[in-house]
Amino acid sequence: MNGPDVVWYLAVAAFLFCTGALGVLIRRSPLIVLLSLEIMLNGANLALIAFARQQGHEDGQIFALAVMAVAASEVVVGLGLIVAMARRRLDLDVDKLRTLRG
Amino acid sequence: MIPAAWICLFAPLGAAIAITLAGNRLSRRAAGYLATTSVLVSFVAAVVSFAFLLGDPPDNREHYSTLWHWLTAGPYQFDLRILVDPLSTFMMLIVAGVGFLIVWYSIGYMDGDDEERRYFAYMALFVFSMLLLVQGGNLLMLLAGWGLVGLSSYLLIGFWHERPTAIAAAKKAFVMNAIGDATMALALFILIQRDGTLNFEVVFSRTGSLGTWAANLVALGLLGGAVAKSAQLPLQTWLPDAMEGPTPVSALIHAATMVTAGVYLIVRTNALFEAAPHVQELAAGLGAATLLMAGLIALVQTDIKRVIAYSTMSQIGYMFLAAGLGAYADAMFHLMTHAFFKALLFMAAGIVIHALADEQDLRKMGGLRQYLPKTYWAFLVGALALTGIPPFSGFFSKDSLLAPALAHGWYGQLLWVAGMVGVFLTGLYTFRMLFLAFWGEPSPFVQEHFHALKRDVVGVSLAVPVGVLTVLAAFAGWIQVYNFWTPISNWLDPVAPPLVTASGLQEAATSVIAVALALTGIGVAWWIYAARRGEAPRTLPLLQHKFYFDELYDALFYRPAVFLATGLYRWVERPLVFGSLRELAAAVRELGFETRSIQTGLVRTYVLAIAASLAVITIVFVVVR
Repeated sequence: MNGPDVVWYLAVAAFLFCTGALGVLIRRSPLIVLLSLEIMLNGANLALIAFARQQGHEDGQIFALAVMAVAASEVVVGLGLIVAMARRRLDLDVDKLRTLRG
Repeated sequence: MIPAAWICLFAPLGAAIAITLAGNRLSRRAAGYLATTSVLVSFVAAVVSFAFLLGDPPDNREHYSTLWHWLTAGPYQFDLRILVDPLSTFMMLIVAGVGFLIVWYSIGYMDGDDEERRYFAYMALFVFSMLLLVQGGNLLMLLAGWGLVGLSSYLLIGFWHERPTAIAAAKKAFVMNAIGDATMALALFILIQRDGTLNFEVVFSRTGSLGTWAANLVALGLLGGAVAKSAQLPLQTWLPDAMEGPTPVSALIHAATMVTAGVYLIVRTNALFEAAPHVQELAAGLGAATLLMAGLIALVQTDIKRVIAYSTMSQIGYMFLAAGLGAYADAMFHLMTHAFFKALLFMAAGIVIHALADEQDLRKMGGLRQYLPKTYWAFLVGALALTGIPPFSGFFSKDSLLAPALAHGWYGQLLWVAGMVGVFLTGLYTFRMLFLAFWGEPSPFVQEHFHALKRDVVGVSLAVPVGVLTVLAAFAGWIQVYNFWTPISNWLDPVAPPLVTASGLQEAATSVIAVALALTGIGVAWWIYAARRGEAPRTLPLLQHKFYFDELYDALFYRPAVFLATGLYRWVERPLVFGSLRELAAAVRELGFETRSIQTGLVRTYVLAIAASLAVITIVFVVVR
């Protein structure tokens, strides 16, 4: 099989995932949080495809495609929410949205 | 023959369903005619199957017919199955024949009532249930009919549901009957366990293999059912209260058919009772005790329907006496004549009640002979038949029923004496009622409230059935005259061979003594209530309170049950059940208050929690494994 070993792919995937997770954890703008989420999903997709290639099996690719579709839909809903928040002139800050506090 | 029997069974059910489904689309009068016609169809079908059965040789008159398998449970199978034999056709003829007359009478009696359609649907349902009971080809069908007649009786006693007393009476009848149904069901369970089937021919032929204990228990269970349904001691208290229902209901259910079902049961299952002779003797003893007790109570009742109700109880006591001693055909003969003259008495009393604007109190009546001469004659015929004066029907049936008791050893002779005392009481209470209601000067109440019957549909439908029954009550006894002419015994003996037969001397002595005692009773009644009218004798409180049975059951069952229930509520339910629930709820609420601070509402906290737990799980999987 050509190309680099699967370990390299996984390293890139892990890096992407951690970057995304860090973004979700430390950023307060919902827009950036969503963006970081996409990065996490793509890290996962990369791992899936890498494994699919290693195993010579197409299940991982199909799964990655499904994840992309879900991510696209999720972005639509998320961006819609953010636009609605902006229209109502709410602060675009996830730390201020605490009405669900127990 | 078989199709006719099925038609006989299902015609009234069809009418009941049709009236129920048609609702307002059917006029009230039409509902009455539909019910009457359906019962007439039943009667004609019964006559047809009777005629076919008559053509069969006497020892081969037992025909079973299965419509479908009703219940299949493992090796047990119960069919929707009817039996056409001399006994069941005999009962079919009585039920459908008397039922037809009474339903017809109801058209006039219930005219103008608010819920006539409901009434006629119930009546048709009752006739179907009763036919199911007598035609059932296995004990399960019999039990199904048994339960259904109890249900229709409940519905019809409580027909005037705006009266609290009617509702209470209906409940009482249902509960009392439920006791009997339960003991009967237990008896059937024993039979299923022993024989694996409830089909008559199998169960009756295997009584020898039951063993003493099982045979006694089965017979006791069946006797419990019979005693409850036929209002015998000790489950008799519901019948007088059942008079809260409309009068035709009292005539049909609580005089002519349903309450005699207990006698039918004993005769039908005579093989099972003969396997337990002591239980059978107990049945006879209960009958004798009931006939005395009911006769005594009837002496002091002031409600005309209740007097007749107690007299019914007493007459069924006679039938139990005969059936318990093994004189089955005589018991069934008395069942038939009793159906005629007791229905007649009830329906004549119904005309009186109708004419007096629903007044039933004997003390307010008097002198009705001048106002209702034809009803008076009908009532007189019924009363003479009930008392057993020749040549009316009761004379033939009651004497042939009492005579075999003399041939049954000392026990039978004891019961015979009780029966004779009962004959005297019968004359006394029957003619007390007749003299109080019809003789003497018209009371002010009668003069004020009397309104005559008209010659319209109402009047005709009241008068014609009463007329037919008068003829039957007068002459039906001639069907069977001891030893000279015995078609009923010949007809029924193959089904239930008699255990005792009276000699000619015993028969003659019984007749003479019974008639003498009955005439004495009438004479005493005449002396007290007609000749010296106005000086009503003082009555015993013991009789007024019906031997304190209601009070006894109240103290024995009702009060302890209420005491137990309130005690359990106070000492168990409130502290334990309610208390533990309250504590549980409080604990959960406390837990909620304690843990709510974890819910920060801060998205990043959640994310951190997820990431941290994920990290922990990953480490655990990688390191630990």
